[in-house]
Amino acid sequence: MSDERLDLPQGTLDLLILRTLAVGPQHGWAISERVQQVSSDVLRIQQGSLYPALHRLERRGWIKAKWGTSDNNRRAKYYELTRAGQKQLDVETEAWRRLTVAVGQILESM
Amino acid sequence: MLSDLRYRLRVLFRRDRAETELDQELHFHFEKQVEKYKRSGLTEEESRRQARLAFGGDSQIKEDCRDARGTGFIETTLQDVRYALRQLRENPVFAVVMVLTLALSIGANSAIFSVIDSVLLQSLPYRQPDKLTRIFMTSEAFPRFALNPFDFRDMRTRNRSFESMAAYNRSDMQLAGSSGDAIRVNGFRITAGFFHVLGIEPELGREFDRDAEIHGNELQVILSDRLWRTQFGADSKIIGRKVTLNAQPFTVVGVMPPGTAHPGNQYHALSYGEDVDVWSPFAFEGDQAQRGGHYIEGIGRLKDGVTAETAQGEVFSMMNTIAHEHGNDMGHWRMLVVPLDREIVGPNRQVLLVLLGAVAMVLLIACANAANLLLARAAARQRELAVRMALGASRARLVRQLLTESLLLALIGGALGLLLAFGGVKGLISLLPADFPRLHEIHVSAPVFLFTFIISSVTGILFGLVPALQASRMDPRQGLHESARAATGSAKMSRMRDALVMAEVSLACVLLVGAGLMFRSLINLLHLDPGFQQQHVLTANLWLPSAAYKTRPEQSRFYERLATELESIPGVSSAGLGSDLPWTGWDDNTSFSIEGRQPPPHQDFGARYHVATWDYFRALGIPLKRGRLFTREDNADRPKVIVINQALANLYWKGDAVGKRITFDDHPKESDWLTIVGIVGDVKDKPESADTHPGFWWSALQAPFSQMSVVVRADADSQTLTQAVSTAVHRIDPSLAVAEVQWMDEVADATVATPRFAFVLVGIFAGLAILLAAIGTYGVIAYSVSRRTPEFGLRMALGARRTDVLLLVLRQAAMLTLSGAVLGMAFSLLAGRVLKSMIYEVNPSDPLIFSAAGVFVIAMALAACYLPARKATTTDPMIALRAE
Repeated sequence: MSDERLDLPQGTLDLLILRTLAVGPQHGWAISERVQQVSSDVLRIQQGSLYPALHRLERRGWIKAKWGTSDNNRRAKYYELTRAGQKQLDVETEAWRRLTVAVGQILESM
Repeated sequence: MLSDLRYRLRVLFRRDRAETELDQELHFHFEKQVEKYKRSGLTEEESRRQARLAFGGDSQIKEDCRDARGTGFIETTLQDVRYALRQLRENPVFAVVMVLTLALSIGANSAIFSVIDSVLLQSLPYRQPDKLTRIFMTSEAFPRFALNPFDFRDMRTRNRSFESMAAYNRSDMQLAGSSGDAIRVNGFRITAGFFHVLGIEPELGREFDRDAEIHGNELQVILSDRLWRTQFGADSKIIGRKVTLNAQPFTVVGVMPPGTAHPGNQYHALSYGEDVDVWSPFAFEGDQAQRGGHYIEGIGRLKDGVTAETAQGEVFSMMNTIAHEHGNDMGHWRMLVVPLDREIVGPNRQVLLVLLGAVAMVLLIACANAANLLLARAAARQRELAVRMALGASRARLVRQLLTESLLLALIGGALGLLLAFGGVKGLISLLPADFPRLHEIHVSAPVFLFTFIISSVTGILFGLVPALQASRMDPRQGLHESARAATGSAKMSRMRDALVMAEVSLACVLLVGAGLMFRSLINLLHLDPGFQQQHVLTANLWLPSAAYKTRPEQSRFYERLATELESIPGVSSAGLGSDLPWTGWDDNTSFSIEGRQPPPHQDFGARYHVATWDYFRALGIPLKRGRLFTREDNADRPKVIVINQALANLYWKGDAVGKRITFDDHPKESDWLTIVGIVGDVKDKPESADTHPGFWWSALQAPFSQMSVVVRADADSQTLTQAVSTAVHRIDPSLAVAEVQWMDEVADATVATPRFAFVLVGIFAGLAILLAAIGTYGVIAYSVSRRTPEFGLRMALGARRTDVLLLVLRQAAMLTLSGAVLGMAFSLLAGRVLKSMIYEVNPSDPLIFSAAGVFVIAMALAACYLPARKATTTDPMIALRAE
């Protein structure tokens, strides 16, 4: 539990999940591990928010789930991006970029 | 959006699988986490502990996932329902009392609504039935008077309000049946386009055109589907064939489809329904300038956008013009244009609405009762609710849970009630008089299902909301700390419960007063002196076809022979024939001149006319007041005589009428005068009215009618007598049909069927109301006793006697019921006003009925309190005090 850990801003969890799945199908645990790794332990997704988010994204049709076998032969639920999810990811990535640029500009210029 | 819906449905229907999958998924995650910790060097046990810590609340995640799936609402409801069912199973007595009282009151509502829906709401089986109207003349003395045929014809040509118009009158026929016996069939004479007005197309052939209205073209007939099937073997080539009716050959021009309903009529009335078998043309004959005879009834289809009122105005001004053209004026006569559905249902609408009001009151009482029981239970459940609140359930969540419980109760009650309604409707139909409008259409229909569902839901919310809000308003800390018993002492809650009991008692009072008023009215009707003796009198109806009995002497001879034959039947004490029977709606009137008198300007002397043989009065038990009755000698060879009733004698001769003379001719010869030979007692026009219309009788041997009623007073069983009467008729003429054989007390009984129906139902509802009010009072008092047990214990420890405690409890109950009863009396005064036109010779605020109802309700409520009060007196002071 390092102090550098950040709370996720509202709405970014969906973006992170979608981005992680853009690489390839993953189960829930792998998604959280990956986000933690790639962000050098700064971002951590709690199970309490991960699974409701996955179910919500599935309901919206952005990701779909199917059961597969994990590395050590255990049944796991894999999520993969749908075409609608890919589109949503593009939209949200673009929105995020514009937001960070804008916020950055304000922080620099004042 | 569509994929969203599909997703939710899939999740909902494969709920169990979705739940297992979620379990597996979370378990997988957990195991992976454990592995990760183990890899970092922790022991198995420590890894699991850490993973569990990191995981947080397992069920919270699941709950959130369910919400995320979008099925939370339904799943929560299912959960609430399961919880509610468990609660009900734990309190079976409470559940059974609730469900049964609700089922009874909802079922009663559904049954009454079935009748209302079928009789008042379902549209009549005609095209655009709301455009159909009946057209009458009207005056104070004759609210619904028939039209003159020529007046009708002028109206039909000139009016601008009606799209089409027709007229009809009763004309039953005798059919030479396929089996050889003559059959009497209900028939009507109709003008051209009668069925077009109703909007019914013949199944075969066509209906009458204007040619059929010309005198000489009358021998045409339209058959009902029923007659066509039963008597003519559904012959598809029947159009153009001749059938023998009234001993004359009629050409069949059409067959009507099944379900052709007669719109009902007023004179020689046949009520609305599918009871007509033949229609023949109405021919306009006679002198157009003579417009005194009124004997056809009008029906019209309004043009779009024209109201009945507008049409009535137009028809009235038209009739004024027509009257002036013939040198008359309308005098005190007006015109009446009434929507057909209102005319068919008539005063029964009010009866049904009063019943609906009564049964709605029962439901309100049941609601109050249920609310009361729930309030008491909410008090007992306070601790449970406090625990749930402390564990984080929101107030809205608790209200929702409690409402789910009350809705569940109401819906179970409603479902059971619907079953009861099926039986109830059968019972209602058997209680209703046979001529009740649309009786055969009454059934539990789809709208009744909807109605039951709606009232059940509304009931559930109504009785559940207040207790739910009350219960959820408490402070959980207080609820947890205080014992459940003490916590319920909140003044607000008990005030609410007292108010509910008062409301129950007051409504029960209203119903009981209503039942009392109706009972008095029914007793009055049954004990009314009708002016004749209805017991042991068999009646029947005969019709002499004019083809076989062309002249008056032929008819007279038949009646003289028949009367003699009937007298000789064993067991018969007197027998006669007459134009009509009491209470069958006979209302044929004529004007006349009185010897040596001038009528007041614009008025005529007039009275209702009848015909009778010499023993008709004795057979019906109508007493002779003055003079003499007819004799066998009052025949066509002798001076003309009449017998009049007391009402007519009083109207024109101050009672002293015997020997006076009247005539129907404007320029009478000596032989045109009729002498009044006797005055008979008044027969009431209707059983529910004290009035008798002035009337007189011609001697049947001097002025016979083609249609006559047989009256036989005899001490014999029905079957033998019926057979004997039929044999007597057929000994004279085997081709005649003997119709409408019934005992006079059956005729009389049918006339009180509707008031009896109303009374029986209101009585049942009142009984139900009292039962519910008693349960309600019992609940409140029993509850209050259990709450005050320590107080009673203290009182008794301080020296109070058992009777003191008993009185204490009873006083509380008496205060409640007494104020309820007083309130009920005030409501009853209003209700009495509504009932006024439905009750006969009863003061709507009759003090005896009011006080009896009040005393009865209070006694019932106090009796209900006796058990809890007794329990209070058996309180052991030691135990009671220790409990505190």
